[in-house]
Amino acid sequence: MSKLIEELKVKIIDILNLQDLTPENFNENAQLVGGDLGIDSIDVLEMVVMVEKDYGVVINSQEVGEKVFSSLASLAGYIEGNSSGSAS
Amino acid sequence: MISKRVYIAGAGIISPLGRGLPATEEALRGNRSSLRPMTLFAVLHGKPLPVGQVDGLNGPSPVPRTHQLAHTAALQAMAVCDRPPDAVIVGTTTGGILTTEQLLRDKVLDKELYRYHGLTSVAEYIAGALGCTGPALAVSTACSSGAVAIASALQLLRRGKAEKVLVGGVDCLCRLTYFGFHSLQLVDQQGCRPLDMHRHGMAVSEGAAMLLLTTVKPARPLAELLGAGLSCDAYHPAAPHPEGRGALMAMQAALADAGLAPAAVDYISLHGTGTPENDLAEAKAVNTLFATPPPLSSIKGATGHSLAASGAIEAVVSAMAVSANILPANTGCRHPDPALGLLPLATPISHATTAVLSNSFGFGGNNGCLVITKPDSFPPAAMPSQARGGLAIHGWSCFTGAGDTARTMSLLTQGSPVAGTAELETISRKLPPRLIRRLKRLSRLTLALAAGAVENSGPGDQPASVFMGTGWGALSETHDFLTGLVDSGDQFPSPTDFVGSVHNGPAGQTAIMFGATGANITVSGGDYSFEQALLAADLFLENTGKKALVLGADEGHHFLSPLFDPSIAPRTPLADGGGAFFLSRKREGAACLVQIPFYPHPATEGCIDSLLESLGGVQTLQGRYALLLAGIPAAEREEGERQLAGFLEKTGLTAPVVRYREFTGEFASASAVAAVMAVSFLAAGKAPGKLGSGADIALASGESILLLGLGRALSALEFSRP
Repeated sequence: MSKLIEELKVKIIDILNLQDLTPENFNENAQLVGGDLGIDSIDVLEMVVMVEKDYGVVINSQEVGEKVFSSLASLAGYIEGNSSGSAS
Repeated sequence: MISKRVYIAGAGIISPLGRGLPATEEALRGNRSSLRPMTLFAVLHGKPLPVGQVDGLNGPSPVPRTHQLAHTAALQAMAVCDRPPDAVIVGTTTGGILTTEQLLRDKVLDKELYRYHGLTSVAEYIAGALGCTGPALAVSTACSSGAVAIASALQLLRRGKAEKVLVGGVDCLCRLTYFGFHSLQLVDQQGCRPLDMHRHGMAVSEGAAMLLLTTVKPARPLAELLGAGLSCDAYHPAAPHPEGRGALMAMQAALADAGLAPAAVDYISLHGTGTPENDLAEAKAVNTLFATPPPLSSIKGATGHSLAASGAIEAVVSAMAVSANILPANTGCRHPDPALGLLPLATPISHATTAVLSNSFGFGGNNGCLVITKPDSFPPAAMPSQARGGLAIHGWSCFTGAGDTARTMSLLTQGSPVAGTAELETISRKLPPRLIRRLKRLSRLTLALAAGAVENSGPGDQPASVFMGTGWGALSETHDFLTGLVDSGDQFPSPTDFVGSVHNGPAGQTAIMFGATGANITVSGGDYSFEQALLAADLFLENTGKKALVLGADEGHHFLSPLFDPSIAPRTPLADGGGAFFLSRKREGAACLVQIPFYPHPATEGCIDSLLESLGGVQTLQGRYALLLAGIPAAEREEGERQLAGFLEKTGLTAPVVRYREFTGEFASASAVAAVMAVSFLAAGKAPGKLGSGADIALASGESILLLGLGRALSALEFSRP
């Protein structure tokens, strides 16, 4: 799990271009969407694409998405709970 | 001053509902949805999504599908008139991209085949086909393009710049929008159900509608265009303001422009896309403006959302409502959402209708509303008095391969070229990282230009409006979206790139940066895009002292620019950049004035004479210009030089001529940099002689600089001190 979290930190910083963030100061329990990071609905969709592409896990409704993306830790938990094969 | 009445003399329409007004009316009376699974191109994964698709378009054609759709609607609208229109204005978001997508997939690199890619090619094609020798403009404000084009035509007519304008909107189905809206999870897989409590999004569609507008009262006008209102949410690149702030402002502006109270409206043609957010925001705005809303509906459950065409299609349907007294149903809505507080028409009704309000909203927060009425039913709208004497420039900035304004001007003063492409880091240096993290090259260039021009004017005002010209739009995002789509087997296109790919993205970002909630218009006129943006500002900027940003910018893209831009040959070094002006109608404190004596016109026989006439005749020109800046795109060198020689011969002008593209490099918005050169030189009182062969050129008071656009089109801008 912690390996997945670290991996997600790097990927999310990259795809969302969060230049002022490093994996070290990325708090996995902090509010991910709508919080201090300025992450909004378009970013969520960008993460949806990444999760499906890299982990084969589909997040296809807004209601599910809101819970899944509440924090990076909950995203990692969702991926782990729903992926069929290895998560890395 | 009482404005002129603007009549809808004729209208043409082609949509998934059918061709022509009678077929459209019949389909609307039947309350049928035209939505069904897409068959226009193959889909590699899953079931095709429901779309609105036009059947029976003529087979192989030398022009892309969008151009064919526009042409079909144009011929219908022009059936009532035996002369070409004085101007053509077309709203479109994707131009010839369906053809481009296929060519790219087939790895075809013959640039001749990409000649109809650009948005301007749609307007030019229609103008050419009809023999129109006046301005041909392409407006691109995403899903409000059709309505904003019509609002622009209204201004052109009221100001007496034309008597007959053919205007409308068009878009065809293409992979960019089909997969793009799907990537945003904005497509309802069960068709489109606007205002329904179970609504789940839109259906992408296609079509075209064109209207012949005129100030000369026709024998049997279809309707009158009484007013129009524009606004910008200045909130988010793709989502509407949650309270419908921009929608409300646009509706209020349209009613104020028409001189009507809300109670006078008999029917509202809603934007009603069927996405949860749009319908909620629009409902809030409607309920704020109307104590008891009149009958209302969205036809997008029947037609789908044809993007730039939708505003024009719905304007035609609004004209039908007042001429045939038919109010269409809100097809697809079975259980009106109680959270919206609106009861849309469940079935079509016959209803005596005098005034219709038609809403269109788009990405970038660009909103446009139209008021369409039975002819001569209300007093003609009163217009604010029109300022003469052009636009007053209070701040300016440019960006080139050399960098910002200071670096660019410093090199030009030494007679050195500034062509090239600056590093992205250089462009982004002064921009807030959080604001630009999702933005690619064109949006960053635009924000840097906008910030530079506002800063240059000194502390004080913020812009209320934004007018942007770009020849090719956001090439990085367009390229990355299409490449990502192909590379992932049509599975994983980037939603961020889709949102960023729209031509009006940069102007929408500019509005967000400054909180500019006034008119926000993006135009695309090839090498004359900046001139078209100035034209738009000239049409819309009121005499109130409110300030606007006018920009011209293009990005040089290593792969797409050489493919699309005819002036970039295989060995032409890539160049890009642009210019921005912070301006108003108020001369006080202005550094410079710009007048637009000649709007961009296609270069036709005799157009040099029309240009000379617009400048005030040959006799007035002697001693007026100290410098000529000539814009001759490389692809038009022979023709442009011939035009220039003709101009110089007819005028006998001996002022030095600088062919500025020798310094800026080849890109569509190079004229915006040339405009900044003109303003900088006037502010300095001299132009560097090293740009030519001689000594510095003194710019005495009273002397002006003429910026000529030559080649496919002719245009003239005149810069002088106040």
